Amino acid sequence: MADAAIQGNAHTDDRGFFTRWFMSTNHKDIGILYLVVSAFVGFIAVAFTVYMRLELMNPGVQYMCLEGARLTAAAVGECTPNGHLWNVLITGHGILMMFFVVIPALFGGFGNYFMPLQIGSPDMAFPRMNNLSFWLYVTGTSLAICSVLSPGGNGQLGSGVGWVLYPPLSVNESGMSMDLAIFAVHVSGASSILGAINMITTFLNMRAPGMTLFKVPLFSWSIFVTAWLILLALPVLAGAITMLLTDRNFGTTFFDPAGGGDPILYQHILWFFGHPEVYIIILPGFGIISHVIATFARKPVFGYLPMVWAIIAIGALGFVVWAHHMYTVGMSLTQQSYFMLATMVIAVPTGVKVFSWIATMWGGSIEFKTPMLWAFGFLFLFTVGGVTGIVLAQAGVDRAYHDTYYVVAHFHYVMSLGAVFAIFAGIYFYFSKMTGRAYPEWAGKLHFWMMFIGSNLTFFPQHFLGRQGMPRRYIDYPEAFAYWNVISSYGAFLAFASFLFFFGIIFYSLFFGARQNAANPWNEYADTLEWTLPSPPPEHTFEILPEQKDWDKSEVH
Amino acid sequence: MPYIWSKEEDYNYCVELWPYSSLPNKGFAIFILITFLMLNFPLYTLLGTKYFWVIFTFLFVMLAAVWYALRKNYKDRSILEKLTITAELCQLTRQNPDGKHQSWECNRYWTKVSLHESGGPVPNYITLSGSGRVVEIGSFLSEPERKDLYNELVKVIKKFQSN
Repeated sequence: MADAAIQGNAHTDDRGFFTRWFMSTNHKDIGILYLVVSAFVGFIAVAFTVYMRLELMNPGVQYMCLEGARLTAAAVGECTPNGHLWNVLITGHGILMMFFVVIPALFGGFGNYFMPLQIGSPDMAFPRMNNLSFWLYVTGTSLAICSVLSPGGNGQLGSGVGWVLYPPLSVNESGMSMDLAIFAVHVSGASSILGAINMITTFLNMRAPGMTLFKVPLFSWSIFVTAWLILLALPVLAGAITMLLTDRNFGTTFFDPAGGGDPILYQHILWFFGHPEVYIIILPGFGIISHVIATFARKPVFGYLPMVWAIIAIGALGFVVWAHHMYTVGMSLTQQSYFMLATMVIAVPTGVKVFSWIATMWGGSIEFKTPMLWAFGFLFLFTVGGVTGIVLAQAGVDRAYHDTYYVVAHFHYVMSLGAVFAIFAGIYFYFSKMTGRAYPEWAGKLHFWMMFIGSNLTFFPQHFLGRQGMPRRYIDYPEAFAYWNVISSYGAFLAFASFLFFFGIIFYSLFFGARQNAANPWNEYADTLEWTLPSPPPEHTFEILPEQKDWDKSEVH
Repeated sequence: MPYIWSKEEDYNYCVELWPYSSLPNKGFAIFILITFLMLNFPLYTLLGTKYFWVIFTFLFVMLAAVWYALRKNYKDRSILEKLTITAELCQLTRQNPDGKHQSWECNRYWTKVSLHESGGPVPNYITLSGSGRVVEIGSFLSEPERKDLYNELVKVIKKFQSN
């Protein structure tokens, strides 16, 4: 029999630093680990882009020379353009950002930390598997970085085939670099799938009593739908890259026409994963933005139920539009018409979300604290990216824009600016909750304005470059494109400066920031369960089931 | 309500308690069904090709994994406590997730129910004492439920003791 323990159970934490952070099974600690690691990987991936923007600042090749990569243009001597280095950098940037930065930050970081809190669960359903997911992610990251530094194609280091790993390029690329990249994606996929299974089990079976599905906070909903998308999309990717691996190493001909294979089919399979992937990246951002906007407009979020259904609809539609990434591979007119129409249908649930956010603010009492600025930035930039998305969805128009900088501008507006602004909104919104410290408000605002101006300056001119016909993924360009490229580069430097400043803010606030231990530093419209806990939350939370009045505020508002 | 009184006659009472799970069996079935239907979608287009088997393998390993995880989570939480009160005895049995049985019994007259507002592992912790042991009951229930359960237990047991 369970003998009673009435002697009290004051929990003493005598774990050392190593035990706490390296062997953690606590969802809050693992969430923080995800955020920290993804910030560092993000820094690497951003550093790649700064070097690329440096190279693109002026026509001709000044930095990426075969004689050796340079950091200053002043270095004298011959410079033979090194296209391979360029290709490696775009590939590395793409793979790192798609698999190792944004998903781990939003899904792994915020999802792990806040989803169990919002549903009143004591931890994830499988805490040790959670630890495994995190370390698989670290392993995958290491493999990806190894891939950049190990022998690859053209007798140089790294492989430059683009993050989509299209055959025959990826099959013919020599060296072990490509195999390492495939392993990296495999391991990160395994990590995400285990994480997703954990999230789904937690969400479905560990909600607080009384919290029916349609009472769950929007962020938790977005994490659940994201987890479901990961579950359905990533095994498909795993299959595709496994076939690449056997094509490379075991002489199979899945994607080699000479042996009866079909390289176009790889593109179909890749994008069947790839399109849900972009929703996997952005959906948790939607969740965070909903809470931030409701809090700082001092109104409950407008249209909760349509918001939930919009998340579900976006997730479901994500699986039936993949071929709009490949209008130019020679599909029939009927196929193209279908993918065009299906793609435009996505604008409906997305519109529901954007208008609901605006309606939430309508008549609200808006307060421009730092997280709200980031949410505003998100709303504006994501909408701009969405509008160019409608343009690109037109199969005819896409003939002109395919593989130009217009596409680069489009997906950076939705992902680099949409998802990243959501991450920063989340970090500033939850910083005091996670650390018990406050950041200087002026610094957060300065970070926002630098990033907002910098990233718009970077990517808006790329629309013009795309319309002028500048193709993507090239190290050099004719002088005609010089004007907007130099402006784009200045924007990238400003955005990079803001990123460095952000690291400064975090270090300063962590060690010298004012103490902020109030459960809820914002207002009563931050009404989900995490705001009922002290900041930072204790090691163990909700071991006692929360009561409905703690989280169900529909009566009060 | 994760506890239910199943027998309420003059001298015979029985209450069963289990931890709350938010996913009913029907919900599990719906989730698996939708996942299954969705994962069929990419497979139809590959029917009859060699690609089918590669994608099929990964997708069905995933389906098996999520199935196993959800069932495992049920199993990890499958605690059933059963308190049977007859004219003679108070008998408490507990079925643990690992399949282990635990039991305790005591003459119903000497059974004492107590509520520990603090000091226990959870606030308003309920214990039964007798036969030289103190055992817990319903520590996994929510706080209001434990308060209700305590009042009901006291009522039932007092009723015996005042007879």
